[in-house]
Amino acid sequence: MKPLKTAAQEQLLPGETLQEKWEFAQAAGYDGIELRAQGDFRFRERLPELKQALADGVVMPTVCVDMLHFFGAFDAGLRRDAVEQMKSQLSVIAEIGGLGAQTPASYGMFSRRLPPFEPPRSEEEDREVLLAGLTELGEHARREGVTLFLEPLNRYEDHMVNRLEQAAGLIRETGLDSVRIGIDSYHMNIEEADPAAAILAHAEWIGHAQVSDSNRFQPGAGHLDWQSWIGALRAAGYDGWLAAECRLTGDPVEAVRSVPATLRRYGA
Amino acid sequence: MTVLLDTAPPSVYASAAAVLVRNWTGSSTVPSRTLYPHQWSWDSAFIAIGLRHLSVRRAQRELESLLGAQWGDGRVPHIVFNPSVPHTAYFPSPDFWRSSAAGAASGAPAGTETSGLVQPPVHALAAWLVHRADPAASERRGFLQRVYPRLVAWHSYLTGRRDLGGAGLTANVHPWEPGMDNSPVWDGPLSRIEPVPAGSYRRADLDHGDPADRPTDLDYGRYVRLAADYRDRGYADDAHAFAVEDPGANALLIASEHALAGIAAEVGADPAPHRERAARLTGALLERLWDARDGIFRCRDVISGEPIDERGVAGLMPLLVPGLPAEVVGALHATLTGPHFRLGELPLVPSYDLKGPAFDPSRYWRGPAWFNTAWVIERGLRQYGLLGDADALRSAVVSGAVESRFAEYVDPFTGEGHGTRGFAWTAALALDLAMTTVTAVTT
Repeated sequence: MKPLKTAAQEQLLPGETLQEKWEFAQAAGYDGIELRAQGDFRFRERLPELKQALADGVVMPTVCVDMLHFFGAFDAGLRRDAVEQMKSQLSVIAEIGGLGAQTPASYGMFSRRLPPFEPPRSEEEDREVLLAGLTELGEHARREGVTLFLEPLNRYEDHMVNRLEQAAGLIRETGLDSVRIGIDSYHMNIEEADPAAAILAHAEWIGHAQVSDSNRFQPGAGHLDWQSWIGALRAAGYDGWLAAECRLTGDPVEAVRSVPATLRRYGA
Repeated sequence: MTVLLDTAPPSVYASAAAVLVRNWTGSSTVPSRTLYPHQWSWDSAFIAIGLRHLSVRRAQRELESLLGAQWGDGRVPHIVFNPSVPHTAYFPSPDFWRSSAAGAASGAPAGTETSGLVQPPVHALAAWLVHRADPAASERRGFLQRVYPRLVAWHSYLTGRRDLGGAGLTANVHPWEPGMDNSPVWDGPLSRIEPVPAGSYRRADLDHGDPADRPTDLDYGRYVRLAADYRDRGYADDAHAFAVEDPGANALLIASEHALAGIAAEVGADPAPHRERAARLTGALLERLWDARDGIFRCRDVISGEPIDERGVAGLMPLLVPGLPAEVVGALHATLTGPHFRLGELPLVPSYDLKGPAFDPSRYWRGPAWFNTAWVIERGLRQYGLLGDADALRSAVVSGAVESRFAEYVDPFTGEGHGTRGFAWTAALALDLAMTTVTAVTT
């Protein structure tokens, strides 16, 4: 069986430039770097840097949004900006030959588990907003030949899309192959009754995978059953990436260096 | 840890692992989502042997959850009931066994409902294999320290209260106990049992299984009689109307006793008593059950004191026992490859004599080939250096399992699937044979 490809998000890697980070990443056993994209079109402004890195052989399959408002925002203005930012990020990742961009519906905007418990928008309105955003972004991604990865977050970070089942339902309704789920082991650990079974049940919708342990630290630093999580991805026929999006505990350089070996040990 | 993903074609790993993920309940694996919705004893042991390749942690939990339902007298019940499954989903259900009340004198758990019967003791062997899949994780979680005393108590029950023949071998008191429910081997001793009236209970197995593939109603009436009588005696091990010394159950006990020696050494206990017991059991197995004329181990009817004149696959399972005399191994191999079982010609190993009067290629344990017996025999062949046959059987298990969509059992001639599909031990053992290199149980 072919090994799964592993990536680290760029901010985790030591080095000033993408080239320096790539040198470290390769030595540690990574196959690529996941980029992070800030708002105000700053990711687009990085195009010369990204193109040079590409020319120097840096592998950059995916980008993850790094903003404080998202396409599911309550505020129409923020929502519009988030959609425009994501479209730009999809275009940039397409331009450097990547696969796609990952975003949650929202982050830190509202939690049904924290006061005041009832969001200002109804579930039906949430759904309309999410479907409109996913459709617009998915159609843009399709034109660019890349994929939008929708990431379910845990209940304390987002009130709309927490489980794979919910993401799959929305994606099915858009009818777009260019929208897929970007799963995250940390959030699944909180939200899914059985993460391995959830992976298998929604296998056809999974396009990308981010990894961090039960405590949000690097894989191996918590108590997730990585063997069954990765085993389920294998059973699902997944052949995409495992991208480390995590905090680091212990010596940060040693911590990030340890991730590929840990994932391989458990079947990646 | 032995994760040898490169050795397994993706389709085997992917399809077998998918069955194990789907059948996992959070603390154990159901043999089948439809036909068998609870935890079964020897199923769990065989499942753990394969599950270690998908999740060592789940494999440990599988065995720990089963041993958590162990009775005070050491018995490991053959079914541990899931309290969230309705009683109508399986017969006999908890309200038939009434273990917490009827089994109280034998130390049945008060808070978990189980059956009162046992199944073959594959558990110590499974625990040892699970440990060896990731010794560091096993040590970190204290896996062997936790299971060792329970496994010791389990074997003490089998060789103590269950030594009904008085020669050291463990005896089984119900056809369900050796795990081969309706094998023709039991027809003789079972014929003495008065069946309960057909209308006095309702079978649930026919809701999901083809009646032609399942035991007959007459057999079922006798199974119910034996189980109800045992229950009504408070699960006391005396006055059994049915008692047999089965070569399969005893072979697995011996292999597990050798594994216990390995476990004892790991946890700082003395392995010598386990080796001595394994040697005693091996001697008794040869003395009591070996039929040198026909080259097969016979089941012994403890009530009549006579060997049973039938050839079942259980009679070949002692190949798993280390240290057999060379002539016994040679004769077993000849029987296995001869006209009664035709290994090499047929893909797997039939559960019963192909030339026997009761042979039926589709009815459960009366002829169909099963994957757990094939796994045992493959391991035995390999142990004795019969590598060509072992390799062929290994390939046949893997391909037969995948092609039948992990059938419960298959037609011994055609490999056509019977019984339920997505059967957990079929997936687990195919995965195991696809992914590991078998070495001796202990050194």
